[in-house]
This record gives sequence, C-alpha cells and structure tokens, in this order.
Amino acid sequence: MRTLLVWLAGALSLAGSSQAALASGWNMPVGVTDLSREIYNLHMTIFWICVVIGVIVFAVMFYSLIRYRHAKGAKAANFHENTTVEVIWTAIPLLILVGMAVPATATLKKMYDTSDAELDVMVTGQQWRWHYEYLGEDVAFTSNMSTPRAQIRGDEPFGENYLLEVDQPLVLPINRKVRFLFTADDVIHAWWVPDFAVKQDTIPGFINENWVRINEPGIYRGQCAELCGRDHAFMPIVVHAMEEDDFDTWLAERKEAAAEEALGVEREWQKEELMERGEAVYASICASCHQPDGEGSPPAFPALAGNQRMLEDREWHTNVIIDGVSGTAMPAFRSTLNPVELAAVVTYTRNAWGNDTGSEVQPSTIAQRLGQ
Amino acid sequence: MWTVIKSVLAAFFGVQKEQQRREDFEQGRPGAFIVTGLVMAAFLVGILAFVAILVSR
Repeated sequence: MRTLLVWLAGALSLAGSSQAALASGWNMPVGVTDLSREIYNLHMTIFWICVVIGVIVFAVMFYSLIRYRHAKGAKAANFHENTTVEVIWTAIPLLILVGMAVPATATLKKMYDTSDAELDVMVTGQQWRWHYEYLGEDVAFTSNMSTPRAQIRGDEPFGENYLLEVDQPLVLPINRKVRFLFTADDVIHAWWVPDFAVKQDTIPGFINENWVRINEPGIYRGQCAELCGRDHAFMPIVVHAMEEDDFDTWLAERKEAAAEEALGVEREWQKEELMERGEAVYASICASCHQPDGEGSPPAFPALAGNQRMLEDREWHTNVIIDGVSGTAMPAFRSTLNPVELAAVVTYTRNAWGNDTGSEVQPSTIAQRLGQ
Repeated sequence: MWTVIKSVLAAFFGVQKEQQRREDFEQGRPGAFIVTGLVMAAFLVGILAFVAILVSR
C-alpha cells in the first residue's frame, strides 16, 4: 500500500508540472467573452477528471505489475467472471459521463441561444476571403489577406502577423450581443476565432448561427478551419473589437460611404478613376488567381494579359466577371462586388499590362445589366 | 416474464450472471426476448427524448 501511495504522489507531482505547460501557450486560450471563459473552465474540469482517472488507473496497474510479479513467486488467480466487479466498473464510468454531460449541456445551451442579439452580421465564406454584411445597416465589405506575396515566397522576412492580417478587419462593438449568420458561396469553410471560442462551419445553402459578447476591446485573429482549396491558409480572420461609441461612429461613417458609393452608380466616371479603382479591386480580389501581372497560372487560371477572346468581346468579358464560369474556378462576383467595383475591374483588366483596348464600362451600364 | 425483463435490462447494462445466462438459454423462448428487447428499446428512446425535451426547454 505504501508503494501505491508513492506512485500516486509521483504521478500527481507530474500533473502539477503540467500546469506550467498549460500557461505556455499549449492550451486553448481563455478568451475574451464570458462564454469562452466558461468553455475554458469546462475544458479544464474535464481535463482534470481525466488526469485523476489516469493517475488512479495507472497507479493501480503499475502497483500490481510490480508487487505481484512472477519473479517474486506470484500465482495468477484463476476465475471466469465476477459480476459484482463488472457492475462496478460499468456503473462508475456511467456516473462520471453523466456528471460531465450535465455542465457540458448547460454550456452548449448557452452557445446555441442566439436570441436578443443587438447586431446581426452575415459572414460568407468564399474562395479565399471572407465577406461581412451588417444586416439592416447597408454596410458590407470583403476582407482579404494582406500579407505580401513576397513574404509567402520567402523573398522577404516574415512580418509580425504573417498570414494573420487583412485589408479590412471585421469591426464589432464590445458589451453587445452580436449574432453571426454563417454561410458560404462555393465550398465549406469554417470561421474560427479562438479568443471568442467560436468555430462554425459555413456551408453553401445553409445558415449556421453563433454569437459573441466581447468583454475587452482589442484585435483578435483567426483562420479558416475547414480545408477549402488551394488558398485555404490564406483567408485569415481579423476582428477589431471597439468601445461601443467608437463602433457607432465607425458604422455611421461606413453607412455614409456606402450611400455615396450608391450615388456613384448613376454618375459618369472618368477612365482614370475607373482604372485607379479597378487596380485596387484587382489586387484584393483577382490577383490571387490571375496573378498581379495578369499572367494567371494556366491551365486552371487563364492569363488576362493578351487574352484574345476577352479583348475582342467586352460583353462576354463582363458576363464572365458577373456570372462566373460554371465548371471552373471562376466564381460569380455579382453579389460580392458592387456595380462601381465591377465596372472598374472590367475597365482595368481591359487596359492594364499592355491590354490597350481603350474601352471602358460605366457603373450605370453594369447596374442595368444586373437589373437594378 | 420478470426474468425476461431482468435479462434484457442486464443486456442493456452489458453485464449478466453466468448462471442466469445459462438458464435463459435452456428455458427461455427467443421470441420473448426479441419482443421484450424491442419494446424496452423503444421505451429507452422515449425516456431519452423526454429528458432532452425537459433539458432544452
């Protein structure tokens, strides 16, 4: 029996030193919401239950192995069954499992309770970027990874937030319940931000829900957590959590900008304006496949520079961007880009990299084509 | 009837006395065990569904 106690003490001190490992970033984060803290505590409770079970089982096993070893003349007991022991070793795990299921179910219920949200954000996964829409606020934008290609190729040293930085972060208020509606345009993605304890599949044709109430302002980073194709690793998530007043100001500014953009559809645009806007849209949306120099990577992603069919047929070119090409990797951009952006990117691709068609498309033409 | 129910419950739990098992195989009719098993499985599903509804309310 004394040997058993020594084994137990040894195993427990090992468990104690694992506390240091937990603090060193190996464990899941505690997070910045009440729910993420609760999930963390649940995880730790169940972890320690497992540790205690492991220590007891292995202590008994090693004690028996050593105390009753053959060299010391131990004789095996020969019997077929013992119903009492079998009942005990079935009943104890049953009680442990039910004991763990009770707090786990209570937490799950809270996770699924998306009622009484103060803000709804639609999150759409696309190959390979995230699209955010503030429902009922007329604010929507696309969030692309902003890590330079040179860093990915290894020509430049890695930045501080390598592969975890975007051009436009999702902006959320703290202390307000935000409901997420998750879906996807092409394949299954997953929106995962560890600090919120939110990891939700985004599935084409389905709406999944989840929610957060962030406690602390800050910048929180995450990634796509469902293998979704070539650039799966290149569609990070960045959330900028702001004080409520700051968020209201930000949202009002974005609404104003969106309203201005809507007016821009009606007016006549200069070609230079369209080119400038088109270059920005191309860099954030198109360049990941068709390459910054328009050379593409055939055969999956055709070259745009010097593409005969595209240069000769502006109508076809415009339709490809609006509707995509079924059976290929080219998605439809009718809902991702607005008429101004569509017109700008058509104009840009018809005139960049030596594509000197000189032709342009006005946002109003695109708006008509879209049937608005 | 009571021994059949007891044996089905033991099967649900996963532990049965060797002596009882032998008696069941010598004296019991297979049909009785199958029917009792199906009825009690349906009952178990009903209980679980009831608990789930109670909890999720």
